[in-house]
Amino acid sequence: MSAAVDLRAFAEDANAHLAAEHEALMQFLYLSPVGLVQTDTGGEILMINPISAQLLMPLAHDGNLVNLFEALEGVAPELRHLCAAFTRPNGMVCDGLQIHLNYPNYAGGGALRPRRSPQVLSLSLLKLDDTRLMAVLSDVSEQVRRERQLRQNDAWLNALLTSITDYALVGLDREGRVCEWNETIGRVTGHGEALVGSSYSVFYPADAITDEQVHDRLREADQNGWNLDEGARVRADGSQFWASAMISPIPDRDLEPVDPDAPAYCMVVRDISDKREAIETRRKSAFCDHLTGVANRRAFFDAAELELQRNRRAPRPIALVLVDADHFKSINDRHGHPAGDAVLRQLGLVLTATFRQVDVVARIGGEEFAVLLPSSTLAGAAVVAERLRQVVQAQAVAFEGASIGVTVSAGVAASDGVDLDLETLMKRADRALYAAKAGGRNRVESWTPDLSEPADRPAGAPR
Amino acid sequence: MNTATALSFTTPALLEQLAQLSADQLDELDFGVIGFDADTNVCRYNRTESEAAGLTGPRVLDQPLFTNVAPCLNNFLVGQRFEDAEDGNTSLDDTIDYVLTLRMRPIKVKLRLLAEPGSAVRYVLVQRRL
Repeated sequence: MSAAVDLRAFAEDANAHLAAEHEALMQFLYLSPVGLVQTDTGGEILMINPISAQLLMPLAHDGNLVNLFEALEGVAPELRHLCAAFTRPNGMVCDGLQIHLNYPNYAGGGALRPRRSPQVLSLSLLKLDDTRLMAVLSDVSEQVRRERQLRQNDAWLNALLTSITDYALVGLDREGRVCEWNETIGRVTGHGEALVGSSYSVFYPADAITDEQVHDRLREADQNGWNLDEGARVRADGSQFWASAMISPIPDRDLEPVDPDAPAYCMVVRDISDKREAIETRRKSAFCDHLTGVANRRAFFDAAELELQRNRRAPRPIALVLVDADHFKSINDRHGHPAGDAVLRQLGLVLTATFRQVDVVARIGGEEFAVLLPSSTLAGAAVVAERLRQVVQAQAVAFEGASIGVTVSAGVAASDGVDLDLETLMKRADRALYAAKAGGRNRVESWTPDLSEPADRPAGAPR
Repeated sequence: MNTATALSFTTPALLEQLAQLSADQLDELDFGVIGFDADTNVCRYNRTESEAAGLTGPRVLDQPLFTNVAPCLNNFLVGQRFEDAEDGNTSLDDTIDYVLTLRMRPIKVKLRLLAEPGSAVRYVLVQRRL
């Protein structure tokens, strides 16, 4: 056998070996249980493995996966901004950012919605250099659900075990009215004996709790043995403090008491103002939209789910308003993205000022906001939405010397306590919003049964 | 006339005709063919598909399609459609626009999903979109 033949055989062997190795590597990436995507700085996809495609495909409106930012636009509108704001030559742009999918931007919703569709994605973005980004995507729905449970347990333990400097011990009757005054109430809240007979909602800032929610907490205490709520409270003199309040049913109480004013629950209110900053920071980073400061999608869907759960137990009206900035794209085009951001910030401010404190105001898409109004009717919500529309129209946004006129369109839908499905509610509000847009914009429309389905436009898609 | 080359991605009633092709004949088709059995294990895999994906038969055959071969099809656009057809005992013949990650590049394709009650093999057919 000649040396040449030997060499050729050797080269063929080496080639075969390389090919096999290449194939093994390929399959390694095909089967990776986490998503890997490489994009250019504008999000254009350069390389992508199958699990990423599986997670992203249902979000891509046109069925094309070309740009990562575009695919995630509806559920994580802040991505472009995060990357643009990241000035270091390389490094982590975001690490484990949680992206809540849910309705409405999960294209193909309704009957087509998969049983196993993810609810929450985790996204980490690594800037490799001036031209490339690497993204890691995974479905963390189950972990998030478990964490939520753990957080509740933590809060419960904190309430029990954290060293208590001062607390008010308040007896409540079946309806949540204060039964008796005692010194601890005086010390923590400044209230005198005249407090007796008032609902415990008197401790909340105006507008921060509805009558129905007052009862929700009592029902939850009945069912779980306790109800815990952390948040702002007011003293008799109007000053605010940060409190942790736990309500528990009094054991062995008479279920059908002869005296309806007898204590049925015990509420412990602790002033935890000194911890407030830490709690608020934690809450903000996880639940706030970075640009506008209103709630983000995650907080919105959390709150909406909770409210609807309660609603199922004790039906009452609930309303939803979807608000969308008119001609937002042309504002961006004419004045630039920073001006667009200023407009969104202003909208966030006006929304927060216009709606009640108990309402959940959230940014759920690029220029789309949602407001959930517990215990509100369709007509009531429409009135507030109309007020919002007027205020927005009247206040031009000042940005770098320019005065930018902005209007909004809004769609209102409500549930009368029978139809309690968030998806339906979102869909109806979206149809009403679509009608407002079609009717010339700068309008508020309420859902009616004859509003037909807009053709082929997924909810939340850019208008 | 060669049976295989007469078949195209859009040929009507394709499922029963594919079932009659030998492995060699499947290899002659200009679109990708992935066939899987009742347990979702891949039982047919043609050359076009193999070359596009960069995987050879032995790595794919007898592997569960939706978990070990093409997890990107395990969603409501594809996997769910087969499940629904199976649960409802109905036939499935639908073509959808899709993006596959062939060799880690996003490639626009058309997928044709084929299933028939009583048929042992179900198919995902793949054709590139231009």
